[in-house]
Amino acid sequence: MTRPAYRAFSFFGGKGGTGKTTCAAARALALAEEGIRTLVVSTDPAHSLADAFDLPIGDEISLISPNLWAIEIDAEVEAQKYMKGIQEKMLHIVSPVIVDEIKRQIEIAYSSPGAEEAAIFDKFIELMEHLGDPYEAIVFDTAPTGHTLRLLTLPEILGAWLDHLLEKRARAVELMSMVAKYDRDVRQKLETDPITDILGKRKEKFEMARSILTDPEKSAFYFVLNAEKLPILETQRAIRLLRKYGIPIGGVLVNRVIPEGAGTFMEQHRLSQQAYLKTIHETFMDLPITEIPFLDTDIRGMSELNKITKLLKNL
Amino acid sequence: MDMPQEEKERNQPPEEESEERQTVFETLKEWASGMLFGSFVEIGTQAIRKEAFDINDNLMLLLFGDFLGIPNPISYYTLELLPYMAEELVPWERRMQNRKSILAEKAGQYDFG
Repeated sequence: MTRPAYRAFSFFGGKGGTGKTTCAAARALALAEEGIRTLVVSTDPAHSLADAFDLPIGDEISLISPNLWAIEIDAEVEAQKYMKGIQEKMLHIVSPVIVDEIKRQIEIAYSSPGAEEAAIFDKFIELMEHLGDPYEAIVFDTAPTGHTLRLLTLPEILGAWLDHLLEKRARAVELMSMVAKYDRDVRQKLETDPITDILGKRKEKFEMARSILTDPEKSAFYFVLNAEKLPILETQRAIRLLRKYGIPIGGVLVNRVIPEGAGTFMEQHRLSQQAYLKTIHETFMDLPITEIPFLDTDIRGMSELNKITKLLKNL
Repeated sequence: MDMPQEEKERNQPPEEESEERQTVFETLKEWASGMLFGSFVEIGTQAIRKEAFDINDNLMLLLFGDFLGIPNPISYYTLELLPYMAEELVPWERRMQNRKSILAEKAGQYDFG
């Protein structure tokens, strides 16, 4: 059996309600059926992966079919794990009086905008690190466009920010050790600066994520859209932005294309779709375009997903 | 009578004399370096220390600005630095909130007198 060509990381995104989850699920199933150990991950805070497979999927990785694992990242659970780790470390290092005093601040940061995104991104990086052991491919079902774009461009933005912080800390440490020329204790403490260490590790993680996300051999982003005006415009904008950040685009998937002979009621709709399809082929002529037909039933569960897996086998 | 005394002095081991001189010299050196440190070096290190503190305060502002109400895009990630900076955090917050005039603070750094 020859395995189809695939990239280690594929991302499915697009406007809400276009069928991202269905496509991601079908793609993952297609890979698994080819004997590729595949993990399908939902990063959308409003999860629907469990609905697509019609199986219970939780915030822990579980095997749902031969060669197929699934997880729905729960931002709150991840954030709580992170906070617990910090609090435990704090109890070892800081006096309880201080811990008590800054409890309020921790709460503020914990509920700040972006905390959820950051928690998802952390898990996202953790999963990426696990590639090859045991998963050979990871399929991400991402949140609607805006959210995902922010998530994927985080490494670049935060990388610059971290550089700046590291620079400042290095300068402060340098000056402090100049002053501490006569104080060996302080000097030793500065040699292993935990702040520089932690910021540096963060930076490394972001750089790793960035190098994977921008590697066309490893990753590809697929846009799922319908043959309508607004999804076309939004996809165009999103592709432009991803290209700006150097994230490779794998292709465009047009979902719910009404087939010929669908009856007189659908005929008018079909004709308008055909016009938009033409626009799609013109707009995205440099990208592979896959058309997925509108089925007479809802795509839910393995057997229904199997109806479209063959279309998604060779993306 | 004079001569033998001179003789005696001359006969004294020379090491003892130089050792004594050595200790005086050491004390003098220490005293001088202390003077120097107090007057010049200390002023210099004080300026550097102040600069280091300023940079660190600014760094704290970038890391934990949201504690003062300034939004921080990575406040979630800076939280993991808290165990190592918590001791500095409370005095820093107080310093930041009690800042009256940055100009006066800066002027205080220089010896205008």
